[in-house]
Amino acid sequence: MSALSAVVYREAKIRATNFTFIFWDLFFPLLYMLVFGVGINSALGAPAGLGSVNYNEFFLAGILAMASFAIASNTSWSFFLDRDNGIFYEMLTYPMSRSEYLLGKVIFNVCIAVVQAALTLVVGRLLLGIRMHWQNLPLLLIGMAVGTAGWFFFYAIFALRIRRNDVFNSVTSVFYFVFMFASSMFYPLDPLPSWFRLAALLNPITWEIDWLRFTSIGLGNLHSILLEGAAFLVFALACFIYAVRCLHRQE
Amino acid sequence: MSEFALEVENLVKIYSARGKQPVRAVDGMSFHVPCGIIFGLLGPNGAGKSTLLRVLTTLTRPTQGTAKILGYDVVKKSIEVRKRISSVIQETAVELFLSVRDNLLTYARFQGLDKATATRRADALIADFQLGAEVDRKVQDLSGGFRRRVQVAKVFMVETPVLFLDEFSTGMDPLLKRQVMNLLRAEVEKGRTIILTTQVLSEAEELCDDILIINKGKQIARGDLNTLKLLSHGVYEVTLTFDQLPETIQTEIAALAPIRFTIEANTIDLALKTEEGRVMEIVSALTHGRRVLRVEVRGASLEDIFVELTTQQAKETA
Repeated sequence: MSALSAVVYREAKIRATNFTFIFWDLFFPLLYMLVFGVGINSALGAPAGLGSVNYNEFFLAGILAMASFAIASNTSWSFFLDRDNGIFYEMLTYPMSRSEYLLGKVIFNVCIAVVQAALTLVVGRLLLGIRMHWQNLPLLLIGMAVGTAGWFFFYAIFALRIRRNDVFNSVTSVFYFVFMFASSMFYPLDPLPSWFRLAALLNPITWEIDWLRFTSIGLGNLHSILLEGAAFLVFALACFIYAVRCLHRQE
Repeated sequence: MSEFALEVENLVKIYSARGKQPVRAVDGMSFHVPCGIIFGLLGPNGAGKSTLLRVLTTLTRPTQGTAKILGYDVVKKSIEVRKRISSVIQETAVELFLSVRDNLLTYARFQGLDKATATRRADALIADFQLGAEVDRKVQDLSGGFRRRVQVAKVFMVETPVLFLDEFSTGMDPLLKRQVMNLLRAEVEKGRTIILTTQVLSEAEELCDDILIINKGKQIARGDLNTLKLLSHGVYEVTLTFDQLPETIQTEIAALAPIRFTIEANTIDLALKTEEGRVMEIVSALTHGRRVLRVEVRGASLEDIFVELTTQQAKETA
């Protein structure tokens, strides 16, 4: 327990004393919502076939998933910083297991993601008048937490396996593009070509977004949401196991 | 608890990379180190010192053999090992985004120190390591030397029984280095065991109670300084200072086939392997008819022993 709290303390100290990290984790996704979301909502209106849901409401779950994806990506990049500073290897000699190290990092990220989600929901409600299903808030926050953890473990695998910063940056850029656009983040999947829809349905970020969309504005089918939720849990667990293996192989 | 701080048995570490020949960085080492001493691991670049330390600090798993710290296996009981060690790795390892004080306090937190003790020790170390003026600055704004100070200071925050130092003095000024060496001595007197690697042989000569010389992953020699000197019988160091450097002296020295020699201003330093009686003959020949300000003849230094043993091994391998 003390090892986990030490990792969380370290991460919190680093974030709390560096404004740029706070900006990217907490405020950047909000800018997406307030600039991109409002722009699309005003110019194009609501996506077809969604009834009374407007684009701001539809995009809310996308913003939340984008935040959890970005927080995970930013933190996995910190493996590179830590490795370059040498502190990564020193930390591996501290009295804690490799899984405690990863779990400590993920606990902190989950806390950040939950704060970010709360901020997004409040701003969405107050500035954009988004109608939310507040009774589902605990389920939404669970979705945020599991989502952030899953993406963190996923990115950690690449951050631990790739040695060169430029290669890692290229990989994350490709991931950003593929995962975010081949998903239900920006648009509903129904009007899309079948191959595109299939790719999006196989994309774990779609599973996360669908869960968040159902719990935030009630859009979606309960049966498929539960299935997607279970699939994401398996994805997160598999990534965790593999990330711990990668951490053991650090030499 | 084991009577040994360190027990290494037939340890092998092979690095394999796709498309490359496997490298045996540690090649069958076996040795024991008792508690409460400073143990030096010496060897040229690529000898396997850092790899050995990485295995002992649980950073890398051995390919074969076993290593134990205070009786705990580094693979099977890695957490127990980590609870009993602290280490200064070769690379600078600091939290760049944290202040000097937060670096010390964060380290203490990982090691399970309570806040009051951590604060008290941090204050003392900030004074010892002359970090007072920098205490609230982020480490990323400090020079390499200061970063190293912070890194080394951290291991004095805790009282783990075994301390690993991989070339700890890199980037330290001579005064601070002297102070850290005194601190290390004091820690050993308290019962801690220190395992250090260094390229600065005078440092090892001064600090280490027991030395292991390794090369190409193998042990070459082991013992305290006096034992190692016996291994190198017949090596002498000669220092001659002339009022004016003789023109032919370089040729004369080269003809003696010394282990090493340096000429600085009017002073010549050379190390020779020869019989005891012959040393004075050589000195007499080199100084004959010349005005000499200083003559000094000494037994072999650790550097001579090190050079002799490692080159001898290289010749044998070739």
